[in-house]
Amino acid sequence: MGFFVETLIGGLMAGMLYSLVALGFVLIFKASGVFNFAQGAMVLFAALAMARFAVWIPGWLGIDNALLGNILAFLAAGGLMFAVAWLIERLVLRHLVNQEGATLLMATLGIAYILEGLGTSIFGSDIYKIDIGMPKDPVMILEGTFEGGLLINKEDFVAALIAAVLVGLLTLFFQKTSTGRALRAVADDHQAAQSIGIPLNRIWVIVWCVAGVVALVAGVIWGSKLGVQFSLATVALRALPVVILGGLTSVPGAILGGLIIGVGEKLSEVYLGPHIGGGIEIWFSYQLALVFLLFRPQGLFGEKIIDRV
Amino acid sequence: MPELASTQALDTFPRLLFHHAQVRASKTAMREKDLGIWQCWTWLEVAAEVRALACGLAEMGFTRGENLAIVGDNRPRMYMMMAAVQCLGGVPVPLYQDAVANELLFVLLDGEIRFVFVEDQEQVDKVLEIQAQLPHLEHLFYDDARGMRHYTQAFIHDVRELMAMGKIHHRNHPDLLAEAIASGHADDVSVMLYTSGTTGKPKGVRLTHRAFIAAAQGGVDFDDLTDSEDILSYLPMAWVGDHLFSYAQAMVAGFTINCPESAETVMNDLREIGPTYYFAPPRVFENLLTQVMIRMEDASRVKQKMFHYFMAVARRCGAEILDQRPVGLADRLRYALGRMLVYGPLKNVLGMSRIRVAYTAGAAIGPDLFRFYRSIGINLKQLYGQTETCAYVCLQPDGQIKFDSVGRPAPGVEVRIAENGEILVKGAMLLKEYYRRPDATAEAINADGYFMTGDAGLFDDDGHLKIIDRAKDVGKLANGAMYAPNYIENKLKFFQHIKEAVVFGDRRTMVCAFVNIDIGAVGNWAERRGIAYSGYTDLAAKPEVYGLIEECIEQVNRELVGEGVLGDSQIHRFLILHKELDPDDDELTRTRKVRRNFVAEKYAVLIEALYAGRQSQFIETAVKFEDGRQGKVAADLVIRDVRTFPLARKAA
Amino acid sequence: MSREIGEVILDLKNVSLAFGGVKALTDISFDVREHEIRAIIGPNGAGKSSMLNVINGVYRPQQGEIVLRGRRFARMNPYKAAQAGISRTFQNIALFKGMSVIDNIMTGRNLKIRTNLLLQALWWGPARREELAHRAKVEEVIDFLEIQHIRKTPVGRLPYGLQKRVDLGRALAMEPSILLLDEPMAGMNVEEKQDMCRFILDVNDQFGTTIVLIEHDMGVVMDISDRVVVLDYGKKIGDGDPDAVRSNPEVVSAYLGAGH
Repeated sequence: MGFFVETLIGGLMAGMLYSLVALGFVLIFKASGVFNFAQGAMVLFAALAMARFAVWIPGWLGIDNALLGNILAFLAAGGLMFAVAWLIERLVLRHLVNQEGATLLMATLGIAYILEGLGTSIFGSDIYKIDIGMPKDPVMILEGTFEGGLLINKEDFVAALIAAVLVGLLTLFFQKTSTGRALRAVADDHQAAQSIGIPLNRIWVIVWCVAGVVALVAGVIWGSKLGVQFSLATVALRALPVVILGGLTSVPGAILGGLIIGVGEKLSEVYLGPHIGGGIEIWFSYQLALVFLLFRPQGLFGEKIIDRV
Repeated sequence: MPELASTQALDTFPRLLFHHAQVRASKTAMREKDLGIWQCWTWLEVAAEVRALACGLAEMGFTRGENLAIVGDNRPRMYMMMAAVQCLGGVPVPLYQDAVANELLFVLLDGEIRFVFVEDQEQVDKVLEIQAQLPHLEHLFYDDARGMRHYTQAFIHDVRELMAMGKIHHRNHPDLLAEAIASGHADDVSVMLYTSGTTGKPKGVRLTHRAFIAAAQGGVDFDDLTDSEDILSYLPMAWVGDHLFSYAQAMVAGFTINCPESAETVMNDLREIGPTYYFAPPRVFENLLTQVMIRMEDASRVKQKMFHYFMAVARRCGAEILDQRPVGLADRLRYALGRMLVYGPLKNVLGMSRIRVAYTAGAAIGPDLFRFYRSIGINLKQLYGQTETCAYVCLQPDGQIKFDSVGRPAPGVEVRIAENGEILVKGAMLLKEYYRRPDATAEAINADGYFMTGDAGLFDDDGHLKIIDRAKDVGKLANGAMYAPNYIENKLKFFQHIKEAVVFGDRRTMVCAFVNIDIGAVGNWAERRGIAYSGYTDLAAKPEVYGLIEECIEQVNRELVGEGVLGDSQIHRFLILHKELDPDDDELTRTRKVRRNFVAEKYAVLIEALYAGRQSQFIETAVKFEDGRQGKVAADLVIRDVRTFPLARKAA
Repeated sequence: MSREIGEVILDLKNVSLAFGGVKALTDISFDVREHEIRAIIGPNGAGKSSMLNVINGVYRPQQGEIVLRGRRFARMNPYKAAQAGISRTFQNIALFKGMSVIDNIMTGRNLKIRTNLLLQALWWGPARREELAHRAKVEEVIDFLEIQHIRKTPVGRLPYGLQKRVDLGRALAMEPSILLLDEPMAGMNVEEKQDMCRFILDVNDQFGTTIVLIEHDMGVVMDISDRVVVLDYGKKIGDGDPDAVRSNPEVVSAYLGAGH
């Protein structure tokens, strides 16, 4: 029993990170109808920037304090993501207004390659570490409830906490502020939003900025766990089943979908793996997504939109 | 000079008001939701506004004893105007806000009214429509300035102007108001309420301060009401019930009245305020229950199951628990769980979580309906009274609730049953007179000083009064058996699918009925069965709907057979009317009572068809739309026979 | 005090619009004066909606220009139009269906919001005060349109007539100087039409808003408009006060010809 719960919690924590990446997809899709294939590249790009800035900035400024260095690096990387968002809107999206979904999808594929290329040429192609002082050692909890207690990875726990806080803040931002309301309005009906004086261009920049921040947080967490390397970009592919499961237009769907996939992967690996063979973790989520596509193509909470992708 | 000297008895409403302004000055007296926010007035603020209004009226030449008409929804300033008029020894005359211009005309002429206070443009327009026929009208005040910019007539004023004028007047004559209040007397008329009158022209019922304060004080003592009650004031101000609960009792106990934002938002406002004390006619309780039921039918299966299970528990023991009678431990536990899962949330949705006492009156309430509210823990009780008795004759005491009685005579009220079964009452709360109708006054109050209610009733063994029917409506069938039409109609109306019913049978061989279906409940029923319909007339004619109503009537027949003397009154034939009975077509009174004779005359051809044994009948009826246009509704109405049951006593 | 019709505020000069080879509008000129109610009527397919879309910049005419308060716009776009104080409603109601009535109307305040994103994100001081001030303004609109009872209801769940009212509410929340109404009474029953007429007249009267409305039903519009433009097959066939338009033989035949 204790082992099962451990696996479950491990899955939930991994799932939280999937949710974060999926959230990036959903935000952009809702606001602009674009399925952003570059989300993975953005995660990589942001993580690379963070990793390098965390080394470069203390070097340039002669700062010893690791925490301060990390904060400055985070802000710099955030600023860079804003700039990227602004450039994407300026150079790409603005010229593709009212084009076919497929055209926009191709455009984001292009953006993905550019970001990956740009990332490696600016920041180099080595494997970097992000050390934001995450506690690495596991802890035992609930020793009274379960025999032998539960072994929890502190790092996972902190990461999940950060992801949860971010999701909470985003929800508040969307529900409570006038910009959030404008974002929801644009997501609901472009044309109407425009005619009441909501500037689409600015909204798109904001959405891409938010997606950029989400990518940065995801990148930092994944990076500090696994190291920053090219394979981070494929994290996005792991999040694909999540959005299929949760629905492309639903924020709660993205979160729940992430958790389901996370838990599903871990449980299937542990309990089905020995019978079917290892490595289920890799393809389990795609199977699940496939089943969903067959029976509920709009996802758990989504609208009937998926055919646009 | 303060308006209230400490030596004065608190025996008029103005004195009560200024008393509250002294002893609970900063307590909230009134609330109104406006622009999405609950605006509050303390007793001190209310007193200040009343002072301004009263002094303004004095400045405009309002004199002691004269009438002032008030027309509009429940608004704080409308209530304040009542108090202001009373300060000057005048008589406020609240009128139904949905009265059409002609109905206003009658009252404004009858009361020789010079001053009219209305809520808004809509009401101003109504008065202007009949202005030419109103020789007495001198001043028309309005509360809501919206849309009033282009009304340039000199006699129309914003009530704020009146108050501004009043403030200046008060500065110049600081003693006038205090003197006016001091010279008021408990036996002065405090309010005139027009009875809707099921027959003939309305009569102005003149009630004194003494009468209404006695009725209010009796009710406050009876239910231990305090100054911390909250009540939602949403019933027509012209109705005696609202005047008793929202004005007289609030003035006596010093509690808070809350005015809803608009008629459509009442449900929401109810939820936000969560009144502790509540008053509504049965149809409001019925509408609420219907809404709950409709929503339950759309809920998930699990929820439905849970709901029905715990409602069964509540039916079994809820009322007993409320009355603090012994109930088994198992049921008590189930009920406690139900309170957490179902009754609590349900009460919350209904806006009834905080209710200590709720009353219903004005018409008979269905036993199932009544039981429903009591079983989920709402202390709903019935009261009995008329406009002529300040709505105060009988009250149901806590813990002694019978579904078919209206309780015991209230404190200070004497009740007798006359030979012919008519209920006679006497007490401080009786009317002073009908306005300018000594003949009617003499007719209504007998030589011993009893008011003749016109209702037929009897006392049961526990001394609880049971109302059977209107005394004059109680008739005889051709075979001489007693026939109480309202009693039967009420039985029919207790079904959620039947909105109105009119039965016929006096001096006839059998009882037949007209039925109005409830478009909400039956519409929902039809939708769930995939029955398409285009509107009321279409739905009413569906054979499936006829079947549904037939079942209800059969059920009534089954009940009537068990009630001995009324067994001959089983309904033999019925039809569903092609239009809803409507006050705009004079078929119902403003309080939604059926005008039996009018309906019988208007639909004579249908009655004839019922008794001639025909299977259908064509009819065309003129209708008035809300905007005043005329139209016609025509239909070929089906007539159905219903199963009747052999009388048990004959077999015995 | 009575509203006084002022100077020309909006002037359309020789506007022509075509989609591909199909001419939607041909050489149309008319003006709108401040504070007036100006109707554009015509049978279905006459080009009324195109006309409105040109004014608010959804369509760009191939020829002609729009002069707004003396400023020439060869190219208008919806955002510029909104900034210039033009708001509109839609024939097919383009409300944000998933959002509540109050949120929908609040979006109408978007242009007026001054505090920046950062302050809003922190829900802090000035941003919060501003939000409350806008909310108060929106409550006035809600009160004006008598829709208090549906404040929190998601728009998608409302009946058609009420959605139209919310649509008007959102446009009003912008406090426009010119209000474009695209068939405000289409699909309504008699009572709803009367309500809508009352609201349109009240808006015009109380706020002095200039109103341009299009309708294909002549009846109601003639009663509330100061001047009427009649279009048929993308051409202007009549322009003047309602009585003049009603007696214009070309207008009569256009309507008869279209089966009205």
